[in-house]
Amino acid sequence: MKTRLCCLTSALLGIILLSGCWSNEELPDLALVSAMGVDLEKDGRYTVTVQVINPGNVAGESTQGTGESASPPVSTFTESGWNLTEINRKISKKVSRHMYYAHTNLIVISEKLAQEKGILQVFEVLERDHEFRSSAKVVISYRSDAEDIMKTLSSIDKVPSDKIINTMKATEKAWGEHVSVSIRELIAKLVSSGEEPVVTTFHTTRNKGETLQSIQQTNPAGRLKAAGLAVFKDGRMVDMTTGETSKGIVWLLNKVKNTAVSVNWEGEKHAAVYDLMRQQTKVTADVEKGGDIRMKVDIAAEGNASEVKIPINLASPDVLNKMEQKVEETIKQSILSAVDKAQDLETDILGFGAVVHRTDPEAWKRWKKEWDERYFPDVQVDVSVDVFIRRTGLRNEPFHRN
Amino acid sequence: MERAKINAGQLFVLIFLFEMGSALLLSLGIEAKQDAWLAVLTGMCGSLFLFWMYYRLYLFYPDMLPTSYMQHIFGPFFGKIAAYLYILLFMYNGARVLRDFGEMLVTSTYTETPLFIINALLLLIVLYVIHKGIEVIARTGEILFVVLYVLAVTGSILIVVSGLINIDHLKPVLEGGIGRILKTAGTETLYVPFGEAVVFFMILPYVNRPDKIKPAMFSALVLSGINLTITMAVNIAVLGVDLTERSQFPLLNTIQAIQVAEFLERLDVFFMIAIIVGGFVKISIYFYAVVIGVSDLFRVKEISSLIFPLGLVLLFLSMVIASGYAEHIKEGLRFVPLYMHLPLHVILPALLLTVAALKKRHSMNKRKQS
Repeated sequence: MKTRLCCLTSALLGIILLSGCWSNEELPDLALVSAMGVDLEKDGRYTVTVQVINPGNVAGESTQGTGESASPPVSTFTESGWNLTEINRKISKKVSRHMYYAHTNLIVISEKLAQEKGILQVFEVLERDHEFRSSAKVVISYRSDAEDIMKTLSSIDKVPSDKIINTMKATEKAWGEHVSVSIRELIAKLVSSGEEPVVTTFHTTRNKGETLQSIQQTNPAGRLKAAGLAVFKDGRMVDMTTGETSKGIVWLLNKVKNTAVSVNWEGEKHAAVYDLMRQQTKVTADVEKGGDIRMKVDIAAEGNASEVKIPINLASPDVLNKMEQKVEETIKQSILSAVDKAQDLETDILGFGAVVHRTDPEAWKRWKKEWDERYFPDVQVDVSVDVFIRRTGLRNEPFHRN
Repeated sequence: MERAKINAGQLFVLIFLFEMGSALLLSLGIEAKQDAWLAVLTGMCGSLFLFWMYYRLYLFYPDMLPTSYMQHIFGPFFGKIAAYLYILLFMYNGARVLRDFGEMLVTSTYTETPLFIINALLLLIVLYVIHKGIEVIARTGEILFVVLYVLAVTGSILIVVSGLINIDHLKPVLEGGIGRILKTAGTETLYVPFGEAVVFFMILPYVNRPDKIKPAMFSALVLSGINLTITMAVNIAVLGVDLTERSQFPLLNTIQAIQVAEFLERLDVFFMIAIIVGGFVKISIYFYAVVIGVSDLFRVKEISSLIFPLGLVLLFLSMVIASGYAEHIKEGLRFVPLYMHLPLHVILPALLLTVAALKKRHSMNKRKQS
């Protein structure tokens, strides 16, 4: 009986004392960092701005939009130093709580830092740290500091970092000029010898969107928007692409989901619009005996005719065939402009090197050292696009046919 | 010898969990780059031969512990030395696994908790289960086997569903040629994790149906080998070679990458449970081998009186074998396979087998003559 009692007591004590962690942190003691922005100072130091969630202002529906809520959904804190670990510790001078990075899902790197110093050093610690998630997304600030992006409030999503991530995902899906890149994917491309990364850039207006008043209008004053694709070479941002070139890059990365392609028709510009529903891009390499490299890009796309500005008979398969050919040509041009751009910049953002590596490992061994500078710019690219127009919406011929 | 019996199914489960143990933690055979999974598979095939050796040894002396029959084979003096060496090996390996386990938890989750506390807590459970004997370890193993499999299957489904697998990362296959795979298998994967199961020759005498040992052993080995191969291939397919190589715990990173439907993510706990299950069984088996080995070699009747003193030794050994994680891993990859695993997993058993076979033939000849 006595031993039983002893056992029971010790078991119960164990349950009480051993539950939870050694270093437990209560939720009210944590500062949840939603996003982190890194800028470069003139003397080479980093300035880090963290965006910390104000829990009370995010949770309740009533506090938002009534004009009565006294404080914004996030607060930002800025600190500079020579390395990120030190900055993270120093920032405690300004924050009353323990900085908690496990929920950080966005990293903003300033354009200046990406261009001048490169991003390699910043990501080292982010990958090593156990709390940080490598699934966090990365964007580059365009013509604004990372700090400005951190400070800009957003109207529909309460937390600005969510707004950036969701915008990036939404536009990647609907329009296809941008790609959302996580830390893990970014690092994988940085270290791979046959691939270089592209990262979406975001722009905001400085000093405009920092107050709650700025989002209390239908057209928010400071507006976060996706700008273009930052092109990297050896960890440094060398250029930014926009428009059709960006789209070509996204096509080649096989990341286009939906998009709209407009074609000219008998003198009228952008007269017919093709709404892409799904596509598959295949890139293969053909290494010839002499060492010439030909890349073959095969695209099969499926979608609908969605809008015509001039009277074309969309009920006629011949007309649709003609339109398919025009769309094919447009997509091809967009891809070739992306290839030209990448070859001009001598950086293999299109991942051709990785394809060559898989196709001919022996040849790749000889080429990989000088791939970007010597071999990649001379690569010949054959593009073949196969577009199908499956449907034309609820109408066949347009009402303005006469 | 403890008067206890386990059945062949339990032996199967124990070998399987033992193999999975700390092997899930490391980047096995990553020296073969994207062919690491082939190196694991090759190591498994090689270890079938090692296992055959251990099994033949068992057949010569089915009712004796190795610590006893070594004295039979080599004579009392050299036999005792050999037996003692094995006890030291099991002790050291047990301490290594305990350290692996503790380091993993401290690095990835409990960053502020002292290593000693974590190791001590796990060891406490191990001591308890050893106190209860091999039958309880085996029955616990059966339950944990189900747990591990449920985790593995759910985990794999989630990885596939989140579209993380990129087969291109595994290409080009055989880039470094067969030679690189054989080298990696011969210097690494053959011993860790597969050869480590040499400890099971201490357990074999406890199995109730000797005729079922062979299928149980080999199927457990093959199944665990296939599982580890798949794990390694998935790691590389998800993370790429470079990240798998640089990662301390690649499987943890693979699981962290899972994101299904915006809410099924951060499933680190899958990894933790799998490692704790495997680590627990592995440490228990090693420690059990140490305890029965010591009791057999030094003729200590009461096994339970050995458990706590030896447990303390194991705990302190786990703390002092290396001053840091880098040192721990370097020792494990550079020195242990060469100076401990090669002699004690391969050479000494081969020697034992040869001498035992010669002795048997000799005695049979004698019997014929007389």
